Amino acid sequence: MMLFKNYFISAWRNIYNHKLFSMINILGLAIGLTSCMLIALFVRDEISYDNFWANSKNIYRMHQTFLPSGRPPMEFSASAGPIVHALKKDFPQIIHASREARKKSTFIQNGRYFDEQVTLADPDFINIFDFSIIAGDLDNTINDPNGLIINHTLANKYFPNGNALGQTMTINADVFERDFKIGAIIEDMPNNSQLNTVAIIKIVEEEWKSQEWMFDSWYSVNTHLYFSLNPGSDIDEINKQMPAFIDRNFEDSGSDDPVSSFVILNSQNVKELHLSGPSIGEYQKMGSMTTVLTFSAVAILILIIASINFMNLSTARASSRAREVSLRKVMGASRKNLITQFIGESVLITLIALFTSIVMVEMALPIYNEIIGKELSFEYASFDTIIMLLLAFGVGILGGIYPALVLSGFRPAEILKTNQSTDNNVSLKLRSALVIFQFAVSITLFVSTAVVYGQMIYAKNKDLGFNKENLLIIKNLYRDAAVEKRQLLVDEYKRLPNVISVTWSNDAPGVPTENNTSLRTPDMPENKNLLIGNRTVGYDFFETYDIKMLSGRTYDINKNDQRAEAEEIRAGKGFVSSLIINETAVNRFGFKNPEDAIGKILYRPIGNNGENLIREYQIIGVAPNVYLDTLKKEIRPEMFELMTKYAQFISVRFTGSPTAIVEETRAIWEREIPSIPFEYNHTIDQLDQQYQTEQGEMTMFAAFSGLAILIACLGLYGLASFTAERRTKEIGVRKVLGARVIDIIKLLVWQFTKPVIIANLIAWPVAYYTMSIWLEGFAYRIESILILGFCILSGIAALLIAWITVAGNSMRVAMANPIKALRYE
Amino acid sequence: MLKLQDLTKAYRTDEVETVALNNVNIEIETGEFVAIMGPSGCGKSTLLNIIGMLDTPSSGHYFFKDEDVAGYSESQLGVIRKQHIGFIFQSFNLIDELTVAENIELALLYHDIPAAERKERVAAVMDKVGIAHRAKHMPSQLSGGQQQRVAVARAVVGNQSMILADEPTGNLDTAHGQEVMEMLQKLNEEGTTIVMVTHSPSHADYARRTINLLDGHVVTESMRSKI
Ligand SMILES: Nc1ncnc2c1ncn2[C@@H]1O[C@H](COP(=O)(O)OP(=O)(O)OP(=O)(O)O)[C@@H](O)[C@H]1O
Ligand SMILES: [Mg+2]
Repeated sequence: MMLFKNYFISAWRNIYNHKLFSMINILGLAIGLTSCMLIALFVRDEISYDNFWANSKNIYRMHQTFLPSGRPPMEFSASAGPIVHALKKDFPQIIHASREARKKSTFIQNGRYFDEQVTLADPDFINIFDFSIIAGDLDNTINDPNGLIINHTLANKYFPNGNALGQTMTINADVFERDFKIGAIIEDMPNNSQLNTVAIIKIVEEEWKSQEWMFDSWYSVNTHLYFSLNPGSDIDEINKQMPAFIDRNFEDSGSDDPVSSFVILNSQNVKELHLSGPSIGEYQKMGSMTTVLTFSAVAILILIIASINFMNLSTARASSRAREVSLRKVMGASRKNLITQFIGESVLITLIALFTSIVMVEMALPIYNEIIGKELSFEYASFDTIIMLLLAFGVGILGGIYPALVLSGFRPAEILKTNQSTDNNVSLKLRSALVIFQFAVSITLFVSTAVVYGQMIYAKNKDLGFNKENLLIIKNLYRDAAVEKRQLLVDEYKRLPNVISVTWSNDAPGVPTENNTSLRTPDMPENKNLLIGNRTVGYDFFETYDIKMLSGRTYDINKNDQRAEAEEIRAGKGFVSSLIINETAVNRFGFKNPEDAIGKILYRPIGNNGENLIREYQIIGVAPNVYLDTLKKEIRPEMFELMTKYAQFISVRFTGSPTAIVEETRAIWEREIPSIPFEYNHTIDQLDQQYQTEQGEMTMFAAFSGLAILIACLGLYGLASFTAERRTKEIGVRKVLGARVIDIIKLLVWQFTKPVIIANLIAWPVAYYTMSIWLEGFAYRIESILILGFCILSGIAALLIAWITVAGNSMRVAMANPIKALRYE
Repeated sequence: MLKLQDLTKAYRTDEVETVALNNVNIEIETGEFVAIMGPSGCGKSTLLNIIGMLDTPSSGHYFFKDEDVAGYSESQLGVIRKQHIGFIFQSFNLIDELTVAENIELALLYHDIPAAERKERVAAVMDKVGIAHRAKHMPSQLSGGQQQRVAVARAVVGNQSMILADEPTGNLDTAHGQEVMEMLQKLNEEGTTIVMVTHSPSHADYARRTINLLDGHVVTESMRSKI
């Protein structure tokens, strides 16, 4: 105990007496630990998605993939509605199975309208997921077609008096508007779930006859399918039997090939969905495994950089501590005593750093949460604290052990006799290797940040084929009450003074959809269609979006461009419909050029259930490739079909104030369709939102890269000052021998330039290679030669930063009068 | 060679003024061998530093080759210093990380001398002081006497016309001290002006003239009669 106290006191004095050294170490470590902890919180949250279900190990979701010829496979997070019935029949090991569809709907209370997302599910839903119940009876409610389960927040929102249970709520979900009785209240779900459920009602298939594809089509995927397995059953077993299952159960597709040759069903555990599930059809923001792995790596690297500072500064200081060590040895300290003492010192430093970093984490969390769009917090009474402590002790011991071994290994006789610099060559070389490593990592992070930013800027500024400025998108048009007012709205909007043009469509920029249809030319064999992207637009779409046609014309209200409906064709009253396709489709169909495509005929199989119904199109125009979706995907061959019946969005091209136009259009909407909330987005904002997650992660990445460099520079600064101190005698001698101030500065600066240059040589190929691979994930990306430019820039930046870091010290030492250095030898 | 006129040096630290040199008048001819003696703290090193232009006087004149350098800036002094003056210190002041040859070469590094010529001159001077066989050794591998010989070599390799030595034998045993003195004597015979601080009367005997200092004053100057 006495000894321990002595260690503590001596450690404390050492920290106190060498303020610069201690400050650098503590600050560097604290920043390192803070970065590490923030990243750890992020990573932990990302990998914890849907982990909290009692049975999560056995819960799976089934994904349907289509393999269209000549197109990359299309994997959906959803699967066909009827599968659920066949599934339970065919696989006894599947205990529960339920579909889940989330639908925007209107809750109506006392004549007031509220937008809510309601979950439509089968009764098994509550058996798969163990929702925490606050009041009521889940089982009865989900089995009741008029039952409604809501969460705590909704219950409080609509019934602040706490008497929600048993109350009635009117819900409009387009195909129906009727009363539901609140039969159960559940706890709000945690954020770390892909299953953000606020209200649940039972799927009543008969109600959806008008939208049959929702629950009753084998080739349209609109619902998520969750199921739970008997514990001990193997999911691979089920996945393996899927081709047979598909061929046994799927409806005939009209193709000669078995359905399993172009449809794949594959199930994934619920815990994997957030990071590696399919993104098309996913209701909620997903995470990315790459991001999680990248940030984990960054965290580890930052910690290593911080530990290196520790080691380097300690060994650098070793020479000045040689005397103390020798004296202690002479006084009888054993090597073990000394090692304990030095490790104790570094653990004490890390503990101080730890407390500093906890303060830093707390201060950083609000901003951090805003950047990454999460609600993370540091839980003191939990594992977090233990991890943090372990981390600190780990770094303390790791960072302390090498210096401890070096210091305790001094032979006192030599040191006391000659008072020589004890900095041997090995530790000098090691130190310089570690500095190289630190800078190589920092420069790599620097370059990566630059490339990520470059790609982001490129994506944001890429010519999308349409004019994204001054384009207002109004949503919710598919809702029943809006459909009948659509034409009226368009006419009213057109009359507004600042409106140039108005159109409607089923697609809007930055609103991901994956709607495809089969088309063929008369020359193509009947069952060999081309799957092309299906966009439906109204009159004036191309004018409103400022899309310059490559050939032909756009849809004209004065010409007969309307399509022939299925009933008309069925009744033998079909006619040739007009069609506009994009440039990629021109190439895919093998037309020579956009001019050549004009007038060509295309066939599209329509009708349901094997009915051999064909709609005939004639191409009237070719549009350039228009990038309405994310640039991560290659542009599809696409058609823009004229659709007058059905639309999701109204697009308004306007001039003048973006806020004024919103208010003007809102006023008209609220007058005409009070039951549906007015929802809008400016196209530029909508496109930005696409990159929101990436932007947040990018900011995070840039910040951590910056911190890594900051820590490395702190270390360099410390090292430079110790080196300068150690070299004062040498510098004195050099000055006496005629060296000018500038010669000395050059000498000292070069000492730290060499490792940075070597670090560049290591970092460049690494950064180039990894970032080239990263860029391959984007269909439209910056040239990889640009990475080289970023490498050079980062290299120069690193050099400048290193110079600035060491210049001050070097200057001070170089200006000092040499007799001072030589006097007290 | 040089002339000090009414030279005074005062150090001011925390309100206390120490007068290290007070009204010193000294003249040293080219080719002389001068010893400076006196009790500890009397200002010997201060005097030598001023002569060596490592420090500047508080007042008075310092004529070096008829040029009054008393008011020169540090960089002006640096130019004259590296041209004409070599230094030898009690504690050798060799650089631990450099070999013997590199330590000597250091004195030529700041003189714009081509590498080949530097190598030649270093080799020649190492021969002269008898440490050629140790060229690749580190200072820590040499005895004190050998280290001081390296320091002497370094002081003269640039063809300096004057060598200032502050207790060059202070850290050496008698035999090694003798060796270094003989080397200095030889250099003096070849025409180098030498100014040396020493506590040893027998080493002072190598000089032609001894200046005795006490509390910053020159008290006596004695010429050695026998030639
Ligand atoms: N930088 C300085 N600041 C203040 N006082 C100084 C400084 N340098 C020297 N002195 C003082 O000036 C006086 C002369 O010092 P100096 O080093 O010249 O003595 P010395 O004769 O060389 O002594 P020794 O024989 O011990 O080497 C001493 O009183 C000393 O304390
Ligand atoms: Mg002295």
